[in-house]
Amino acid sequence: MANKLISQMGLPPSVANVFAARNILTAKDALSLPEFELMTLLGMGLDQVKSAVERISEITCPPYQTALSLMEDRVRLGGHLPTLLRGLDDALCGGIPFGALTELVGPSGIGKTQFCLKLSLLAALPSCYGGLNGRVIYIDTESKFSSRRMVEIGENSFPQIFQSEGMAQQMAGRIIVVRLTSLPEFTERLQQLKLTLIQHDVKLLVVDSMAALVSGGNDTRTAGPKQHLLRWPLSFLKSLAEFSRIPVVVTNQVRSQSSNEAFHYPFQGKEKDSSKNFERLESHLIAALGIQWAHAVTIRLVFEAYSGQKFIKVAKSPMSPARAFPFIVESSGISLLNDDGFKVMGREINTIRFQGHNILEQ
Amino acid sequence: MAEFNEPRSKATASVSSSGNPTSFLSRASKCAKTLEEGNRSLSDDAGFAQVQPMMEDWHQPWLNGVELLEDSNRNKHFLPTGYEGIDVLLGGGLCEGQLTEIVGSSSSGKTQVCLYSAAHVADKHFGVVMFLDTCNSFSPKRIACMVDQLSSSFSGEAKERRLKRIMSNIFCHSIFDIFALLDVLHQLEFNLKHQVTSGHTKICLLIIDSISSLLTPVLGGKGSEGRLLMVSAGIILKKLANEHNVSVLVTNHMVGGEGGILKPALGESWKSIPHVRLQLTHDQGSNICNVSILKHTFMASGRTTKFVIHG
Amino acid sequence: MEIANLPISPSQRAKLLSAGYTTLTSLSAVSPFQLARDLNIALQEASDILKVMPEFTRSESLHGGNAILKGAQTAWDMLSEEQMQKHITTGCENLDTILGGGIHCKEVTEVGGVPGIGKTQLGIQLAVNVQIPVEYGGLHGKAVYIDTEGSFMVERAHQIAEGCIMDMLDKFRHHQKVILACQEQMQPNSFLANIFYFRICSYTEQIAVINYLGKFLAEQKDVKIIIIDSVTFHFRQDFDDLARRTRVLSGMSLELMKLAKTYNLAVVLLNQVTTKFTEGSFQLTLALGDSWSHACTNRVILYWNGNDRHAYIDKSPSLRSASAPFSVTSKGIRNATSQCKRVRMM
Repeated sequence: MANKLISQMGLPPSVANVFAARNILTAKDALSLPEFELMTLLGMGLDQVKSAVERISEITCPPYQTALSLMEDRVRLGGHLPTLLRGLDDALCGGIPFGALTELVGPSGIGKTQFCLKLSLLAALPSCYGGLNGRVIYIDTESKFSSRRMVEIGENSFPQIFQSEGMAQQMAGRIIVVRLTSLPEFTERLQQLKLTLIQHDVKLLVVDSMAALVSGGNDTRTAGPKQHLLRWPLSFLKSLAEFSRIPVVVTNQVRSQSSNEAFHYPFQGKEKDSSKNFERLESHLIAALGIQWAHAVTIRLVFEAYSGQKFIKVAKSPMSPARAFPFIVESSGISLLNDDGFKVMGREINTIRFQGHNILEQ
Repeated sequence: MAEFNEPRSKATASVSSSGNPTSFLSRASKCAKTLEEGNRSLSDDAGFAQVQPMMEDWHQPWLNGVELLEDSNRNKHFLPTGYEGIDVLLGGGLCEGQLTEIVGSSSSGKTQVCLYSAAHVADKHFGVVMFLDTCNSFSPKRIACMVDQLSSSFSGEAKERRLKRIMSNIFCHSIFDIFALLDVLHQLEFNLKHQVTSGHTKICLLIIDSISSLLTPVLGGKGSEGRLLMVSAGIILKKLANEHNVSVLVTNHMVGGEGGILKPALGESWKSIPHVRLQLTHDQGSNICNVSILKHTFMASGRTTKFVIHG
Repeated sequence: MEIANLPISPSQRAKLLSAGYTTLTSLSAVSPFQLARDLNIALQEASDILKVMPEFTRSESLHGGNAILKGAQTAWDMLSEEQMQKHITTGCENLDTILGGGIHCKEVTEVGGVPGIGKTQLGIQLAVNVQIPVEYGGLHGKAVYIDTEGSFMVERAHQIAEGCIMDMLDKFRHHQKVILACQEQMQPNSFLANIFYFRICSYTEQIAVINYLGKFLAEQKDVKIIIIDSVTFHFRQDFDDLARRTRVLSGMSLELMKLAKTYNLAVVLLNQVTTKFTEGSFQLTLALGDSWSHACTNRVILYWNGNDRHAYIDKSPSLRSASAPFSVTSKGIRNATSQCKRVRMM
């Protein structure tokens, strides 16, 4: 909508010509200037500029929907990719939502990739088995994708499908793996993807892992990856999800907390000093991509391990209360030990623990 | 740089004095031409001769120092803000005839000072306070609460009557763009001029909270037109202040300058406009405000004091 | 007032000046014909110029009433108006207390906080609560929800509407009349039908939608709240020229102020947080910079205090700074579960 041409907005020709003459061609060009600047640039009076801007705005403005019609759309089109982990599906109102960015955060080796593999399979499965019957694009930045592991998960979770002749190949054939190592490459591919997604009936996009792209390899423990480089891919991923109505799943790594991490607002003052030290000890891992990234994802699932147990936590979600589910990784992929999970109080939901395994030695 | 008097006759109505003699003359000659076309032959010289005395008429009278002093003693009083700290610092309060500016970062207490001054001036001076609001931050409830504190010694009914008197003397107008501001100021000027004869209650304090939010959208573009608007707003304000003995109080916010150090928004070209510039800072978690003079026409700058904003 | 201050184009201004029209008074007695001839322009254009002249300079009948300024109101009138005004409840009594009864109409309230603290939850909650029927003590308004991040979940809105209805019915269980009178309105689906949802994918669209809202609100009279979730996202993503961003943002904030005032509705802006280096340490602060912090009437920060969610009034002309705990439950925003009173005035 932002790139709509002003010449086609039905402005009076005299006004439209002035816009064209000053090289203000699209709605974006016009609306990113304050009205006053437009006045001087176009040499028009306030009233004229106002009415032109009003017209441009009205046309550029996307149409509204009532929440009710939105709800009906969701019911009609289906809105979720079920993970088949019942507890998690319930917490997320049905599974990984379409049209949104879902992030998996956790230390390496905990099972994020396993989760992604399983999701890919689910999206590829025929609808009669509860899948989405579509293709999957799997962007693999760390060369971790293993077809053998995927087939193993498939054989163990859906024996009836994978035992029938040719199904394994067919399923695997639906998952397109793209290997990338650098951010510029990624950015370039994303742009091409936009068309591919629609043409090839893609039902899931996985990026494993996002953090590796930014920090260039495995150097995620040093602080401060270059966040601003992610700005464009971030909003592009979101719009991809939105317009093709598919779930987009990205993984994020963890890094140790550096000293220049902020947790407090100025008004909270110094009273927090004691608890601050406490927090430091308690959670020395944080997500590798910073706060701006965290704001942008719609759902964040934290994978962590402590007391010899692994947990999936629904750390950020517009629809679910904070819950944690213990899980194990089996030959059939991840399975929950307990579908009820338990409620997590307070900010503990955001901590990422990795006790018993020293991440620095891995 | 604006018109000084009402035009006297229809023929000269379209002519007015201005600081620009060439344009004035060209207008005058045009005027003459018009007359000529209307079959009333008049040479250019005659037209000029007709206009010149009027020019002198419309000119502000020359004043010498003694007269200026008299004017200032008679008409330019201090309006106490009610905050003792500020009043002492400014030698009595906000001066009539002057433009006072308060700068401060967000939630430093600028609006509180404005509201409190409005309440206090309306209470003590029987004049009208005009509040031009750009941030929807004019809160009558808060003023009522302040008045309540000011009049703790009064009993029930007297209190209510007093509240009504004070509140009826504070006028508020919402403004959301710079042209509307200029329009309103112009209108005010016009009305004030007429009040001299009709004898209305006099406006003694004009508050604009905040002027910077109106000016930021127009400043900093390629052309200098935005700056021109800013300066002319400043000039009108000062003219209003001087000619009608109004004290003008405006607020300005702070932005991050080089090296993360906060500096007042509206840059150098605005800096020279206000007579007095005060800076407010506010300690986190207390209700004590620090105020310091950044600029003052007749007092040393750099002095600082504290005052308390009551909850 | 000078010609230079009139909202007309620079070329027209130049023509006026060179023709000798330097002040408004000089224009006040000119007819469009005369002006058109003097400036050598079309008659239409000349009358357009005369149209932008402030009204009072044109009309001779100035003194209608004793108003000092047309459109100005006394604080007394405004006070009585404000006392009639109802506020939009947040669903959490403690939060309502520090907000002076809830979110106020005619004001722009900004809410910020770290990811996952419950900003979107509060946004959805307000979009639902604004619709509580008058009989139940609400405003019975409609809501505009401008979603820039795609985080509005309609399933969650449905849950919150159900929670709200349940609580209302429970609170008014002894008032059978009220319950019977509003049976139809008190359905989750009719709540959803009154939320107008705009999905915004770029800052251009965000500006466009805010410009367009004026027209939209004139048609949809009952809208009582506009929620923008979040105001930050696109401006932080793709605006490179920071100085221009500041100008566009401050223009936008004035536009929102105007909408709030003109249509007597509440504007709630959700904002993200970022880290900032001040006084030798990193601290959290709301995004979009110092200039933006002046763009709202009230500013509320949601933060973690130990294991509880708290809200803090960071800036307000009428409310004292205070903090109160709240919690996010399956029904929506509610009082913190531990029931001790912990509203703290500062």
